[in-house]
Amino acid sequence: MSTKAKKIAIYGKGGIGKSTTTSNISAALAESGYKVMQFGCDPKSDSTNTLRDGEYIPSVLDLMRENRKVDAHQAIFRGFGGTYCVEAGGPQPGVGCAGRGIIAAVQLLEQQDIFEELELDYVIFDVLGDVVCGGFAVPIREGIADHVFTVSSADFMAIYAANNLFRGIQSYSNTGGALLGGVIANSINTPFHRDILDDFVERTHTKIMEYIPRSLTVTQSELQGKTTIEAAPDSEQADIYRRLADRIAKHTKSTVPSPLSSSELRTWSASWATQLIENERAQQAPESVYAGVNDDN
Amino acid sequence: MTINLKTSEVPNREQRLGTIIRWEGVASDLVLDSHATYGPKKNCGQQGRKLCELDSPFTQGNMCAECVTIGQGIMIKGSVVIQHSPIGCAAIQAMISRLNRDMTNQRGWKLENPRLICSNLTEDDMVFGGLAKLEQTIRDAWKRYHPAVILIATSCATGIIGDDVDSLSSKLEAEIGVKVVPMHCEGFRAKHWSSGFDISGHAILRQLVNKNPTKKQDDLVNVLHLGGPDIYTPMLAKLGLRCNLVMGGSTMSQLEQLPEAAATAAMCTVLSYLAAGLEQEYGVPEVKVPTPYGLKATDEWLREVARITHREDRVEEVIASEHARIKPQLDRLRKDLKGKKGYIAAGATFAHGLIADLRELEVEVDGVLSFHHDPVYDSNDVEQDMLAEAIQTFGDVPHYTVSISQHFQAYTSLHRSKPDFIIARHNMAALAASLGIPGAQIRFFNDGVGYDGLLRIGELIRRTLLTKKFSQSLAAHSSLPYKQWWLDQTDPFALSRKEVTPEGNSHANFSCQ
Repeated sequence: MSTKAKKIAIYGKGGIGKSTTTSNISAALAESGYKVMQFGCDPKSDSTNTLRDGEYIPSVLDLMRENRKVDAHQAIFRGFGGTYCVEAGGPQPGVGCAGRGIIAAVQLLEQQDIFEELELDYVIFDVLGDVVCGGFAVPIREGIADHVFTVSSADFMAIYAANNLFRGIQSYSNTGGALLGGVIANSINTPFHRDILDDFVERTHTKIMEYIPRSLTVTQSELQGKTTIEAAPDSEQADIYRRLADRIAKHTKSTVPSPLSSSELRTWSASWATQLIENERAQQAPESVYAGVNDDN
Repeated sequence: MTINLKTSEVPNREQRLGTIIRWEGVASDLVLDSHATYGPKKNCGQQGRKLCELDSPFTQGNMCAECVTIGQGIMIKGSVVIQHSPIGCAAIQAMISRLNRDMTNQRGWKLENPRLICSNLTEDDMVFGGLAKLEQTIRDAWKRYHPAVILIATSCATGIIGDDVDSLSSKLEAEIGVKVVPMHCEGFRAKHWSSGFDISGHAILRQLVNKNPTKKQDDLVNVLHLGGPDIYTPMLAKLGLRCNLVMGGSTMSQLEQLPEAAATAAMCTVLSYLAAGLEQEYGVPEVKVPTPYGLKATDEWLREVARITHREDRVEEVIASEHARIKPQLDRLRKDLKGKKGYIAAGATFAHGLIADLRELEVEVDGVLSFHHDPVYDSNDVEQDMLAEAIQTFGDVPHYTVSISQHFQAYTSLHRSKPDFIIARHNMAALAASLGIPGAQIRFFNDGVGYDGLLRIGELIRRTLLTKKFSQSLAAHSSLPYKQWWLDQTDPFALSRKEVTPEGNSHANFSCQ
């Protein structure tokens, strides 16, 4: 194909299921016949593991450290459904600068025109947690990603991280940076979780791309070193990921979010916390009320 | 590697060209190994090996790509250069100001101080980001000077915190209506300062040339040089050509018209990135023969320029008349200099050129120190290999040292060579003087170029040899800061040899490409 690859960045708090979600999106897109690259931007270098039977791959920064002339092709490995897997890599915890690592790794692939050369349909950057420094913001700068999505649960800490990301997007939006496509709601097992996130996206002027329930199928697949799409292709969870991938594929118009200020966020979360306590008091067995939501388990 | 103008950053020279900064051996081995590693195996009676680079446990001091990038930016007339850095990086401004005033004077321009501003980043800016300060600095620069262009040089500090200089530049360019050009020149990006020339060439290609040239100027030749007097206009005029002299001092309109020219000649290979980019993007052919040092290379250079610009009919006449013109003086110089031994310490292209000039003058050269080595250039054309050309024409150089301007190694190499004089750049002549060796310090790269350059170098050597007594007096009152152990060494890389076996064989500490 001759059109430019659609580039997507997926952010979210550490441990929220970002790599799991990203890998399943990549796998679902690959399954539909698209040429997809997943670019892990996390020093742990494990973003693409479930696309490659749990295997770690050498990172771009490993190559840059070991060779004076680096051919970026050496950092590209094929995974499930022909996906192209790349890990930026980075330093051990507590040393060096992981942000600079992301800058260097992304630049190397850009300079060698890899995204164009491979004639990709999708490039998906899986980026660690909060936008802690300039390096982690590289994928949302002008000319790198076209759309940003954030993975969040209804947990307040995850929402804080999403709100922080919105701030980053807002500030880069003045200078041509990527805009927000929406929120991928993860680990949503109760209508209450759903309500919290629905309220958050309404207040910040964005939308939910998909609600993904917490599921044992995902855990079982990951233990085999695979995505749900690969390990449990007929499960309902796999269909949810396929639906999400399809929405992301069809998504065209992103917008500037309106992040909450620190005090707004505090007041907002306090009001939900109060409701949460009241709900729990009113309903002795909340699990039974919400039974059936989690039917994939 | 194709030049990629889509990104604002340039891959460094070691990534593009395999550049090395530490090597020691016979010059022909360097050529063979370079070709074996990166180029077609040409001119090789024998096979080369993988090009290897020595390590060093010690560096005496250096400069970085940021210094070069800023120096290049400031030479664009009417520019403001903003150093987006902590204040320590601005220490280089004094040297840049001196070089710029020198260049301005040589070109007969109005003497002005460069307009160079540092954004003066502090702890708070490192923590909270430096873009607000940069934005203020750009606005101040515009208000104060209304410059023709605003160039922004990044620094190690901004590279690490990841300030998004590109986006801010685009935003302010649209707002104030003058080009705002980011130049990503973090010092840690490259091991040799010459990457700074590529960064400024990249900025010119991306943002300063007229990207939609509507006409061609068939008699215009772009000459890229490192500053100094314009010796090229008269050279090209003999072929009926006009010269667009850029990089070492140029106006914005000269840069804009680069794509309209009939050819580009980079007078130093560190400038060839821009030449290769003009050929790739606008079809302006690069003159891909060695730069014109010495009779043969100058003849060939003129022939190649004439071929590209369709002036073959007059070039032989020009060459013959130039040979005849310089012959009497050249003969006198050869008579005076024959049998003298010279030592060369300069940047790569200049060092190669001086081998040709000195040997043309019948000066013996057995030791050369070059500040870096590029195994290949951006054109990937082996015809451009000046070192190969020089040793093929004039014979090998037994002691060829690649050292990034390190005095302790230059000392050892000089001590081994014991020349009658040294011809050098970057203050190496002062080192030689402290050893009692007369030194000719070259101010401008252009000094050795062409037929007149050959004579100029000859005259310079003749004058330098007259200072022998003076140098000896200096040596009598000088001492070097090294222990006797180092003063006795004859291997510039003795510190890099890891171990010496009882048989006397040493194993070098090196890395191969």
